[in-house]
Formats: sequence, C-alpha cells, structure tokens
Amino acid sequence: MNLGRYKRELAAAVAFLLLLIMVGISAPSFFSAENLRDLAVNNAPTLLIAIGMTLVILVGEIDISVGSQFAVCSVVAGELAKAGVPVGLLLPCLILIGAAMGAINGLLVGWLRLPSIIVTLAMLVAWRDALRWVTEGTWVQNLPANFQWFGLGQTVGQLLIVVIALIVLVSFSWALRNLGAGRAIYAVGSDSEAARLAGVEPQRVVFGVFVLMGALVGLAALLNAVRFSVVPSNAGLGLELKAVAAVVVGGAAITGGRGTLLGTLIGAALLGTIGTALTFAGINPFWEKAIQGAIILAALVSDVALDRLRISDFGLRSKELSR
Amino acid sequence: MNETIPQSEIRIPQLVAPLRERLFPNNEWVLIAVLLVECAIFGVTGENFFSASNAFEITRLSVEIGLLALVMTPIIITGGIDLSVGSMMGLAAVVLGGLWREAHLPMAVAAIATLLVGALGGALNAALITRLNFPPLIVTLGTFSLFRGVAEGLTRGIENYSGFSQQFLFLGQGYVGGLVPTQFFILIAAIAACWWWLHRTSYGRSLYAIGFSAEGARYAGIPVARRLFFIYVLSGLASSLAAIIYVAHLGQAKSDAGTGYELMAITAVVLGGASIFGGRGTVLGTVLGLFAIVILQNGLRLSAQPAELAGILTGVLLVATILLDRLSRRAQAQPRAQTISEGEEEVRNSQVAVLSAVILAAALLVVGGNWLLIRSLRQDLKNGAAQPNSTTSQTNGHKPVIAMMPKAKGDPYFVSCKQGADEAAKELGVELLWDGPTDLDPAKQNEVVEAWITRGVDVIAVSVENKVGISTVLRKAKEKGIKVITWDADAEKDARDFLIDQATPQGIGYTLTDEAARILGNKGDFAIITASLSAANQNEWIKYIKERLAEKYPDLHLVAVQPSEGDRDRAFSETQTVLKVYPNVKLIMAIAAPAVPGAAEAVKQSGRTDVKVTGLSLPNMNKPYVHDGVVESVVLWNTVDLGYLTVYAANALATGTLKRGDKELNAGRLGKIEVVDDEVRLGAPFIFNKENIDKFNF
Repeated sequence: MNLGRYKRELAAAVAFLLLLIMVGISAPSFFSAENLRDLAVNNAPTLLIAIGMTLVILVGEIDISVGSQFAVCSVVAGELAKAGVPVGLLLPCLILIGAAMGAINGLLVGWLRLPSIIVTLAMLVAWRDALRWVTEGTWVQNLPANFQWFGLGQTVGQLLIVVIALIVLVSFSWALRNLGAGRAIYAVGSDSEAARLAGVEPQRVVFGVFVLMGALVGLAALLNAVRFSVVPSNAGLGLELKAVAAVVVGGAAITGGRGTLLGTLIGAALLGTIGTALTFAGINPFWEKAIQGAIILAALVSDVALDRLRISDFGLRSKELSR
Repeated sequence: MNETIPQSEIRIPQLVAPLRERLFPNNEWVLIAVLLVECAIFGVTGENFFSASNAFEITRLSVEIGLLALVMTPIIITGGIDLSVGSMMGLAAVVLGGLWREAHLPMAVAAIATLLVGALGGALNAALITRLNFPPLIVTLGTFSLFRGVAEGLTRGIENYSGFSQQFLFLGQGYVGGLVPTQFFILIAAIAACWWWLHRTSYGRSLYAIGFSAEGARYAGIPVARRLFFIYVLSGLASSLAAIIYVAHLGQAKSDAGTGYELMAITAVVLGGASIFGGRGTVLGTVLGLFAIVILQNGLRLSAQPAELAGILTGVLLVATILLDRLSRRAQAQPRAQTISEGEEEVRNSQVAVLSAVILAAALLVVGGNWLLIRSLRQDLKNGAAQPNSTTSQTNGHKPVIAMMPKAKGDPYFVSCKQGADEAAKELGVELLWDGPTDLDPAKQNEVVEAWITRGVDVIAVSVENKVGISTVLRKAKEKGIKVITWDADAEKDARDFLIDQATPQGIGYTLTDEAARILGNKGDFAIITASLSAANQNEWIKYIKERLAEKYPDLHLVAVQPSEGDRDRAFSETQTVLKVYPNVKLIMAIAAPAVPGAAEAVKQSGRTDVKVTGLSLPNMNKPYVHDGVVESVVLWNTVDLGYLTVYAANALATGTLKRGDKELNAGRLGKIEVVDDEVRLGAPFIFNKENIDKFNF
C-alpha cells in the first residue's frame, strides 16, 4: 500500500496520537468508555458539517454560512416538532430545508459564478440577523416529550446519533472514491476547465456540492437539537471556522482537488478532543484558543515540510527555465 | 473563425479613457448611487440624519474598521486575505494596556511597542505565506485563533485595563474645534496615503500585477515575495494602530477588542468592488463600501428600525453588487470579442443601470414599507405636539420617547426585560425604542447611544457593559438635555441621573455562594461554568464569590472555572468533562443564563443524582430541570419587573415627577418602590426553586 499518498492524513494522525499519549500519561481516566462516548456524541454534529465542508473545499469553494444555517435549522426543527410534525418526519424535513438553503448558495456560486466566500459571507450575516429578527432571541421551549432522543431514550439516542454520523462518513467516503459523481468533485476541484473538457459539468457539480452541504447542515442541526429538550436560538456560533479548521488540519488543500474524508475525521477528532484533553490534563482553559491556532499552523508546516522533500515549486520552475 | 476583420471595425485603443472610467475605474458609481439612495431614504425617515454632528459621528465610528479595510484592500488586490486582523486588535489592546499599567511604561513608548507587536504578528503571517507558500486563508485562520488565544492567555481573560490619561483618551473621544472627532484626521490621512500608494506609485501597480498573476509578475521582475511580505506586515501594523484608537475610544483595553471586525472589513472591501480573486479593487471603492455599511446601520438606528435589518440588507447588497459587477463585465467583455458597434454597448450599459435600480429598489423595499407604517404611527402620536423633537423635559403634549438598551439583544435575560418594558410602555403610552448590540460589544453600545443623541430622545436607559467607555457618551447626552438612567449595571455616578438597582455584583456573588453552601452543607467541591473567560460581569461575580468563600466558608472549594461562551451546547460538554475530571464535585454553579440548562442537561444525562446545579438564569428555561430535581435553585431577580420599573422610572423622570431626594416612586403594578438618593431599588436577588418557579413566566 502506498502510504505516501496519505502523508497529510498521517501527519494529522501522528499529532492526534501524540495528544492521546500525552493525555493518557497525565490522566488515564480520559479513556473511560463514558468519556469516549460523550466525545463521540458531542462531536458528531460538527463531524457532519466538516464532511460537507470537505466536499465544498474539494471542489475549490468554501462555505462560511454553515453556522448561521445551523442555527436556523435548529430553530425550525424545534418549531416543527412543536407544531405537531411527527418526530420520524423531522429527519427528511430538516434535510430538505437544509438542502434548500444550500441550493441558494449553490445557485449563486455554481450558476451565477459568484465567489463562494462572498456569497456565503453575505448569507452568514443575513441568516443570522434574520433569525434574530424573527425569534428576538427567545428559545424554543415546551417541546413534545418525544423530541429529545427522538423519544428513544438516552442510550439508544446517543448510539443513533453516532451511527448516523458514521454511516454518512463511510458512504460519502466510498462515494468520493468509487462513484462518478465523487470523482467529478476531485476533477472540478483540480481543474475546472479540464473537467469540463472531459465531459463533467462544473456548474452542476458545484451546485450539487452546496446542496449536499446544506442537507448535511440540516441533518447535523437536528441531531444536535434532539440531544436536549430545549432549542436555543443562537446555536452554531463560530461553527464555520471549526469545520474549515477540521478539514484543513485533516490535510485537504484549500485550493481544491486534494483531501480525503479520513483526514477530515482525524482533523475533527483532533480539534474536538483538544479542549476536553486540556481539562483532563489540568491545563488552564485560557490557553485553549492559542493551542488550537498553533495546531492549525503546525498542521500546515508539517504539510510543507513533507511537501518540500518531493515536488516543490522550485523544482518545477527550474525545469521550465531550462527548457 | 479565422475571417480577417475589416479595417473599419478595428478599434483604435483610446489613450485617454472616458471620464466615467477615469473617475470610477471599478464601477464605483454604483456605490455612490447606493449611498445617495440610502441618504435620501434616511434623510426622510431618520431623525436628524442630516446634521454635521451626525456626519462626524459616523466617521468616528468607522475609523477602526476603516483602517482595517484600507490595508485589507491591497491584500485582497493581490488575491490574499487576512482573517487575523480582529484578533490582532485584541492582542495589541492587551499588550498596550499591560505595558502601560503593569510595566509602567510611558504611554508613547507602550504605543510604539504595541505597533511593533502588530508588525511582528503581521510578519508571522507574512513569513508563513511568502516563505512557505501557504494559502493566506488558512494561515490567517490559524493566527485568528492564535492571536486571540494569546491575548486571553496573557490576561487570563480577566484583566481589563482602564484609567488612561485624558491626553490619550482625547485621541479616541475628543473633538478638534468642538466638532471634528480627533481620529477623523487619522482616517483621512490613511485614506490619502493608501490612495496615493496604491494608485499613484509603481509599488501599487505591482500589487495589481501580482493579483492578476503572481507568476507573471515574477517574470516581469517584481519581487513578489517581498511585496507580499510587506503588505501583511502593514496589515498587522494597521491592526495594532486600530487597536490603540479603539482603546482610546472606549477607555478600556481587553482581550475581546475587535471581535468580528475582520468580517466587517472584508465586507467593506468586497462591497467596494475588489475582486476576491485579486487584480481588482480601489481605495475609493473601499471607502464607499465602508460608508455604505456604516450609514445603513446609522440610518436604520435613527429611523428606529430593527438593527437586524442592517445584516440582511448588507447581505443582499453584497450579493447584488457582485452580481451586477459580474453582469456588467460580461456585457462589456462581449462587444470587444464580437466587434459590436458603439450604440449597442451604450444600450448594454443602460440595461445594467436599469438592473441596478431594480435590485436597489427591491433591497430597500423592506425599509420603505416599514417607514410608511412608522410614519403614519408617528403622525398619530404627534397630533397636537408643539415641539416634536424637543429634547428637554418639557414633554407636555408629546409622548416621551424612551430609548432603552440591553447589553445584548439576543440574550434571553434581556429578552425577558423587554417583555416588562413593553408592558409598561403600553400602559403609559410612551414610545419605547429598544436597541443594542446583538452580542456583548462595548463599542456598539457607544455607537447606539451616539445615534440616540443625534436622533433626539427624551430618556436614555442603558444596561452598561463598559463603565468607563460609555460614561463619556452618557455625559454628552446629559449635556444635550437628555435624561440618563442606568439599569441592570451602572455607569460612573456623574454620568447618569438615576440607577435602577436590582442587585450589586457583591450581592449576586454572596447570594450565589450562600446558596451553594446551603446545598452542599458548607462543605465540599464545586465548579463554575461561566460565560466567556473575558466576560466582565461574570468575572466580577467570581471575584466576590471567592471573597465570600475565603471569609465565611473555608471548607467549600472552587476547583475549576470553565468557559461556555454563552453557548448552551458548550456549557453541556464542559460540564460533562468537569464531572469526570473532578469526581468530587457535587455542585455545578453556572453563572450565565444559557449555561444553567446546559449544565443541568449534562448532569441529568450522566445519571449522577448526587450532583446538583445552581446558578444565575431565567425561570422558564430551567423549569423542567427544577422539577426533575437536577437544578436545586436559580438565583435571579424578576427581570420582567426590572424592565417594567425602568420604563416607569424613565417616564417619571421625563415628566418631572421623579427628582433627586424623592423617597419613593409609583410604579404601576409594582406599587411604591423605594428610592434611595439616586438609586431606585427593585429589591434583593430572588431564589427560584421547586415551590415558586411556576408562578413566573419569563
């Protein structure tokens, strides 16, 4: 097996292992089944968003509106449940609503070819403020009793959340490798024009990716909301940066065309456990943000350190010049 | 395809571009149109929108973001981006305050050192981007966390440096010639310098070349890496300069300075027509984009429209401008490729103009609709009024306008205060303006007060986030004859007429500690889940909690203080971790409204029936947990009554029935309320528990 292809994922995995070893030495109780379960349940929604973000970044775009969409979807999920929509129907409803919001981004970015960072910046502000306007900051309360854990009870509910996230991860990972649509994402992200000449329609791929991103946001928002019996109106603040950071730490190239969902899983796990790990190790939470920033930069530096060994810009340039 | 083009149709490139293109090389006229439309609308709807003082206030508020946007322009022109500018402001503010107060350096030296730190931070970005060829987006995303994190780590989030000298504060609060804000000159100088540098030097031209093609620029002999290095250092430098002005403006230096400013700056630049892919953008565009946003916010405030509209309209405007730009460019590009004659090109331009008008109209329809409504309502209110805009207390004939500001509009605590305020306003028939920052943001509070002074209201009632910073503007309001009340949290004593006092930080801290001692039986470990680590209120309560522990409860131990960032879900996971790391903790004290339900849910799901939750929160969101027995008690005062009392006191003050020296105040359904000197007392903190919580609905 050619490990060189996964060297970026390896770098993140090594960092994650180092973190686990350090926590393991200073606080072995970190590895209790209970703690691992809680970490998995708490990070499952973020992982879902990061999966969508991986697709968006693979295709060479970015979506920074996911946090605001997440908040809108959470509130909508609560209101729907309150209005008497059966719990079983919430799942398809939320996926549809999320997909619709994603489609707006997709239309503007894919078909009208507007830069995604600007479009989603506008959506980030607009959705968040629209939600504030409508809810005036009040939470959705007095939800039906079967809203929490879909009425399945805590143990089953927690398992369900993690299982859904893993099913999405595995199926998307498989589709990216083995389906034409998955390869098209890499193709468009690597070189949109070449992809077009090869018979892929870049516009449709970009549109589809944003719709998927939105659908995953809807799913994540619902899975997050059912963990509680009340829905707050300010959920998902800063979620977009968390998701982008997880994808980048996982080795995806922000310019598109390179990255795997395995890497995203490692990145999300690394960034999702760091705060808890610091508390277990007894390190002051004041330094948490600084350490997170340092990890992102370290992931980059390791990336280039590995890169430099092989094809560097200079190698290419000198070849060109000598011609 | 290969047909030769007839001689007559080959267009000789014009050496001198048409006037419109020379003046507005990047279609900036669209923005000017937007600005004019904004001014026209707000001129009618807004109170005192067209006044010299308002014009200058707008510039004062836009200096910090303006500086960031100005240096963001060359960065975006080269195809880069800098997300770390807001965080750098936080770090620079902390460094400035620390060097001045802890290291006792003179202010000038501290300021120079701060600028150096800014340049160093910029150099870190620059080195990673130019030497190691990383994408700027990712590098600055990393330093975005890093700088803010270091600032929080250095101050442990708690430190809030204030008490700066008058000369220094003059930089941010003073007026030159009694009218022009001091920092206005800095902005003008920065604009002029940037314009000259970008548009009149070969250095500036080279940045455009880099933006079009870095590789091409390199072959053309431009030292690409060096140029890029310089602009990122410049960005760090400008961020620290903005931080110095911010500190002088607010009178405080804290690690949360400049939160979210990076997005505002980028929005201004992009709205100004800069292409995010590089190669395009002008200083004029950036300045116009900046003012389009700032005037939108200011105008909505003066027209008493919901501030949330600003966000929605900014989003619409952003998409509309780039869409327009894309369409007009397509329209311009086609004639050249297909040799279409002059006349048709004109038509295309006019089509674009029509389209722009349509989009603008659509975007402003919402405002227009609301305006008509407000207008007619106002007409009703003003019937028989002699002096509608009188800011004196002579309010006979016209209903007093009471402007009330929470610390954060989205906070459920303040939402419940508004409930009471609305109730009282309806009973009294006064006009209530309710506006404030969406999240905790001291700079925004000042901005809103400034807008209210310009608008001319009768009473301003503020829940103060930053005591020092806001007192300057409150004094200014008093000078203008506006009555000033503080509620929930006090400003400096001489800056307000009355304080509506619900509980002192000491009272809150002591009550919380006593309640914890009661639950734990005076002995054991407990942990605190706070808001953010830099939240001023919470830090003050924690200070008094520790004081009370030391003097009265030697066997109670506070083992951890963890942040929740005001996010229920974060409070949930932090509590889970605390329960595992400190198995002896038998009580979680959550001291932010959303944190109590988060902590309660975590305790409930853990199945630990020996652990209880208490804290400071609202009854409604905790009812299920109180009945479950997870939350033992919630400490708070009746926030609905607080809002209600504030409006009653404000009305009494406006109509002259409340004066210094009064012993009591008649407050509607609350009956007679005690007044001591200049404080109206709501009463002691209240403890909600299983027995009484169902009687309250907020």
